[in-house]
Amino acid sequence: MLSLKPLPLSHNPSFLHSLTPFTPPPFPRTQTLKPSKHASPPSAIQSALQWNRKPELAGETPRVVVITSGKGGVGKTTTTANIGISLARLGFSVVAVDCDVGLRNLDLLLGLENRVNYTLVEVLNGDCRLDQALVRDKRWSNFELLCISKPRSKLPLGFGGKALVWLVDSLKQRPEGCPQFILIDCPAGIDAGFITAITPANEAVLVTTPDITSLRDADRVTGLLECDGIRDIKMIVNRVRTDMIKGEDMMSVLDVQEMLGLALLGAIPEDSEVIRSTNRGYPLVLNKPPTLAGLAFEQAAWRLVEQDSMQAVLVEEEPKRRGLFSFFGG
Amino acid sequence: MEMAALHLPSFSIQPSPPFPKHRVSLNTTQLMTEFVMFQCPSRRNPPKSGSLMIRRRLVRAVSDSGSSTEGAATDSPDENIVVTSDSANDSPPDSQDEKVLVTSESANDSPDSKPLVFVAKLQAAISPLSPFVSSMKIYAGSHSNVIWLSTATAFLLFVAVRVHIGVTRKSKHNRPGTVADLVRRGQLRSDRRGMYAQGISSLKYEDPFNNPYVKLGKSNSTVEMCGKVYKLSPVTLTPEEQAIHQRRRSRAYEWKRPTMFLKEGDSIPPDVDPDSVRWIPANHPFATTASDIDESMAQTNVYQKHGVPFRIKAEHEALQRKLGALQQDQKLNKFFIDSGNAKEYDRSLKLHPKSNEAVDQNPSGNQEGNSSPSSSNSSSSSFNSTSPSDEPQKL
Repeated sequence: MLSLKPLPLSHNPSFLHSLTPFTPPPFPRTQTLKPSKHASPPSAIQSALQWNRKPELAGETPRVVVITSGKGGVGKTTTTANIGISLARLGFSVVAVDCDVGLRNLDLLLGLENRVNYTLVEVLNGDCRLDQALVRDKRWSNFELLCISKPRSKLPLGFGGKALVWLVDSLKQRPEGCPQFILIDCPAGIDAGFITAITPANEAVLVTTPDITSLRDADRVTGLLECDGIRDIKMIVNRVRTDMIKGEDMMSVLDVQEMLGLALLGAIPEDSEVIRSTNRGYPLVLNKPPTLAGLAFEQAAWRLVEQDSMQAVLVEEEPKRRGLFSFFGG
Repeated sequence: MEMAALHLPSFSIQPSPPFPKHRVSLNTTQLMTEFVMFQCPSRRNPPKSGSLMIRRRLVRAVSDSGSSTEGAATDSPDENIVVTSDSANDSPPDSQDEKVLVTSESANDSPDSKPLVFVAKLQAAISPLSPFVSSMKIYAGSHSNVIWLSTATAFLLFVAVRVHIGVTRKSKHNRPGTVADLVRRGQLRSDRRGMYAQGISSLKYEDPFNNPYVKLGKSNSTVEMCGKVYKLSPVTLTPEEQAIHQRRRSRAYEWKRPTMFLKEGDSIPPDVDPDSVRWIPANHPFATTASDIDESMAQTNVYQKHGVPFRIKAEHEALQRKLGALQQDQKLNKFFIDSGNAKEYDRSLKLHPKSNEAVDQNPSGNQEGNSSPSSSNSSSSSFNSTSPSDEPQKL
């Protein structure tokens, strides 16, 4: 099977051509709190024929990615869980950090809620070491989870962002090796939790839904990220209803892109299996057979690895009417 | 008297006195017979009597031309035809093996026309058997129906047994005392069970772009996924448009990263830029009443790779110190207890004059023993003196 990435209209539509990813221009950094983030241009990965091959990792490791949205309930935690597991399945070492102080949910989606004994607050207090606070998934040993705090504990004022910077630095120096991906699940809003979560990040994935309220918040968050020095921002449009788009009751993915002006990492269709997977504590991407949303998450993970973006989106059409002799193969 | 014997593999027609006989007369030209099945034996329910009674009603037919050529037609006497089935030889009927042997006798045959008469009689004998043959064919057809019916019944039985097994297995899981109860009680990990139930080995990586559920159209412009057809629509965002959006946002959202977090109500330090201060509500998870954690200590804790964590070690050392202090206190208490015993011993000596020597030997201990209770008495008397004076003041 071939890749779902046709060429732009100027070229002969064919799947046999390679595509170059979008490379954002580098901007000078002004903040001193954050670690030095050299906005080096990613290697020119050409998304050639994608059949039966592992994605090629682009950029410097560890790649610290913050998954944020601004508006709550759009699917940040679901995106973090599914993309994290997809990356682990691809063979990359991943550490997922749940930075939602007070409303911890990432462990629930991953089915690891009974195994979280220590958090980053205990590490800061000296109650445990960092490796004792990391929860390793038994399904995929290269996936680890770290929660910031338990619901009733409080993170000290002032050095919440610094704590995450120390965390990333400590993970780089650990004996078992530096993780290739550090995914940070950002809390909703743009207050202290958001500021803490984006502190160590090099790049961002903005999760939004095709409704005007989410788009306005997403635009605000994008502005804050760019002010803070994060330029590599890609967008995932979640909960896409192709039937409503066809009936012009919902904005299309291209409309969303036109409003926000961000590169597309993925378009996730609305899927009831998301709720079932949450109830089971089993990420959607592990379903057999895969669902549409699971496939979309896997493709988004693939593009994240190669720092690629979508070049085309799927628009639902009327199904092909089968003729009388369709069962003969006509 | 003409006799007709019809011989079949499982059915034999024999003259038997107990069965009703119907005298049938065979005419040279035409005979009409009508068979009425009494009882059709089946494989499952063989007839009890083991015999099949077939009533044959022979209707006299009037001969026509056939009889004139063969001479004067005479009314042949009635025939007795009885069909019996041999239960011992209960083999499946096979229409191909049916043999129909008809013999007939006639007392009025002339020697000259015997062959013709025989032929005519044979024809006459065979023709009335055609309905019987057709009925036997029907019987054979119905027999094949029996085969189909039995096959269908066997298949239904097989399906019923499988369903029963499936229901039994399900009920086994819902029965009390199964492994499901262990999972329910939290003794067994449900996530691990789910993982093993699905099979770790089956979780192989699959290329999301090479999935058999995604079918590309021949013209490479349509995609079929999960029963729905989609069209590929290319992205139209250009780098220039992207830069325009970035400029717009930089103008709209001017934001400085806060360097200081203060609780609501706190005063801003004099040398701090007010724009870099972020106010935190008192009930926010980030708010703490007292920052017990030293920043440098916290950093050290995060970077620690081996050994006992700092607080655990500190608590352990504190506990050890406390235990050491307790042990020392116990030693001192033991020493004080011994002196108390000596005082009591002194009292007993006073009662007895012989023990005065022992009292003289320990003058210092007595003094100490006397001084401590005297001091306590003085203190208690002073307390008593003050307390009544305090009481009117309180009132």
